[in-house]
Amino acid sequence: MNTFHLDIVTPDGEAFSGEVESLLIRTDGGDTEILAGHADYVAPVGTGRARIRMGGVSRFASASHGIITVVGGDVKLAAVTFEFAEDIDVERAKRAKEAAEEKIRVAKDDRALMLARAKLERAIARIRASELKM
Amino acid sequence: MAGTSMNDIKARIKSVESTMQITRAMELVATSKLRRAKERAERTRPYFETVNDCMRRFISSCDSDSSPLLKKKEGGKTLFVVIAGDRGLAGGYNSNIFRLARALAGSAEAAYLPIGKRSLEYFKQKGAEVYCDSAAVAADMGVGDTMELGRVLTHGFLDGDFDRVILVYTKFVSMLSQLPAYEELLPLSPYEDGKKPPAEFEGDIEESFTKIASEYLGGILYSALSESIASEHASRRNAMSSAGNNAKEMIDTLVLKFNRARQAVITREITEIVSGAEAL
Repeated sequence: MNTFHLDIVTPDGEAFSGEVESLLIRTDGGDTEILAGHADYVAPVGTGRARIRMGGVSRFASASHGIITVVGGDVKLAAVTFEFAEDIDVERAKRAKEAAEEKIRVAKDDRALMLARAKLERAIARIRASELKM
Repeated sequence: MAGTSMNDIKARIKSVESTMQITRAMELVATSKLRRAKERAERTRPYFETVNDCMRRFISSCDSDSSPLLKKKEGGKTLFVVIAGDRGLAGGYNSNIFRLARALAGSAEAAYLPIGKRSLEYFKQKGAEVYCDSAAVAADMGVGDTMELGRVLTHGFLDGDFDRVILVYTKFVSMLSQLPAYEELLPLSPYEDGKKPPAEFEGDIEESFTKIASEYLGGILYSALSESIASEHASRRNAMSSAGNNAKEMIDTLVLKFNRARQAVITREITEIVSGAEAL
């Protein structure tokens, strides 16, 4: 299968760099799969699962917030968080999920509600991604 | 007479020594915090460059009327995002930033979004308009908070709360040099390096633009915050190390004075004994 170069950076440093066969990521328009030779493309990235295929093997991850660009076949993803399933601390994610749910229950203003919802989304994405661990 | 002055000098030396202990402790704390902050600032850099690059590509492939975020307006209110520290005793770190912000604002209509306790206190005390005070503690801010601020800025701009956004922060040049700097965040300026390829978009271009722009602003804020925090610790470390040096110098002079005073007492006593013996 044809491959392309993928760079993933987060504020905590480089999360991934290498040749891959495909990248599945949740953009605003829904799950989008990028293969080699994709046309130039820009999209905001939402919170959700991601999947990288390399050498016929899939690696799952959770990603949240960012921008993805394809320029001349090179793919760059700048995400706020990007964690591979095997690196996710499931217990922590579960605790975060409960804490976020509690916050949503007691949220007084829109801002607090929005923040708590984003936290919940991230926690759910992490838990889902970790369930797909091989 | 000489005795009291000796005690006085002793007391001074003690007080300077305890001051020196404090400055030395603060210097050590700042050094270890600086190391962490510097690592964070360095880790963030590739992310920042990628975000910047993505945005540049994205803007250069759009028409200048594809989003209101690109429109320049004249004479409106300017919002200054001013990143300063949470604490003082950091040399000129806080005051340099405020001086720059004041110089930039001039007499034009301005509002402020302070980041850091000192920043909030300063603008409140000046009676300036504070747009949003939720980002008061700089050290507690994570990437989620800056993303939230990115959204606040984008929507405030779209709602016409302000017509320009300028970010004032401190650039971490090296351990010894930190420069106050500013950057115009909004309206986004189209780049004129002639990159054309019109990229493919998902859905509505204006909506995509707004979303991408707020991610971009959040990213920039996070990286400016990381740089500022590293600068704050570096600046505090330098201030404390020079305060420590000054204290050391002071102690040296005082010790010299003390020895002289002691010598004077001894000399006088000997003179008294000798003249007493002669009188016998």
